[in-house]
Amino acid sequence: MNKSFLTFAIAIAFSANSIAQTSEKLVSKIGHVNFFSHTPIEDITANNYTVTSTLDTTSGMLVYVVPMQGFEFEKALMQKHYNSPKFLDTKKFPKSKFKGVITNLNDIDFTKNGTYTAAVKGKLTIHGVTKPITEKATITVTNDGIEVTTKMHITLSDYNIAFKKGKPSTNIAKTLLIKATSKYTK
Amino acid sequence: MKKKNKKYIYLFLSVISIGGATLFFIVNQPHRNIQAAPIDYTLTTTELVNEYLTHLNASNKKYLNTEGNSKILAIKGIVSQISTNLNNQHVVLLQNKNDKAGVRCTFLPEANTSSLKKGDLVTVKGVIISGAQYDNDLELYEDVILAKCNLLLN
Repeated sequence: MNKSFLTFAIAIAFSANSIAQTSEKLVSKIGHVNFFSHTPIEDITANNYTVTSTLDTTSGMLVYVVPMQGFEFEKALMQKHYNSPKFLDTKKFPKSKFKGVITNLNDIDFTKNGTYTAAVKGKLTIHGVTKPITEKATITVTNDGIEVTTKMHITLSDYNIAFKKGKPSTNIAKTLLIKATSKYTK
Repeated sequence: MKKKNKKYIYLFLSVISIGGATLFFIVNQPHRNIQAAPIDYTLTTTELVNEYLTHLNASNKKYLNTEGNSKILAIKGIVSQISTNLNNQHVVLLQNKNDKAGVRCTFLPEANTSSLKKGDLVTVKGVIISGAQYDNDLELYEDVILAKCNLLLN
């Protein structure tokens, strides 16, 4: 009787544990996204600290939602141009999204401190246009939590952001470097 | 004849310098001073969140501006979380316990938030960045986001 109760209790404990693990979805509301454009004429950069993201350590699902008006530029005029219908049209498309999955989940131990390289495959939606994207991300596990950083190159014309003439066509790079960081506390 | 030529040169130079100065001021125009600007709407966290959750597109039309000069709001709500973002700015979440989402306010570096504590009823002035909505991929309700915030005296 006692023995079977013990087995039962252990079984319950294990199943409870596995249930807890399957719902291991971490939420970060303090992400950072930076973009950088380089041309011989000028460098343009903008930062956004209002990014929400989730990381499901069981399925490997990674989601970023970026409020587009959260990008801050050094120059006010650049910020106006960036938001305007000619460029990102942030009133019509207020949020961008990345939704992807870590394809080498077996290489990453979220419970063990260390730095891991993750291959991420997913879809990026900017300016109302969705494109497939495959990039590498660095995952750092520490006692404080999990940090995910990624760099991606984005070609503006892929997302129907095109400058055919004038100052923007010479001062803004055709391909931007996007850096994203998100911190999840365990 | 010589005198006339000189006159044209002066005229030419003054046009160039006025044009140059104007262009310089346009290119280097300052950012909007949110705290000095007038308030467009005054409402509670519950009112704003519910407006967004029931009419997302209409709310975006009402509050967002095509050049990013979106509406300046004074929001009254209860402090439910105080945190720091990756830029070391204070972020205060105003949310009513019964609401699905709240208003997340990023404070200016000069704002004095040291006296704030959970449960305080405060009014915050800031510019709206994005609205509240349920996101199927995040599987959670996103908060309204305000930037360049400071406390208003009640």
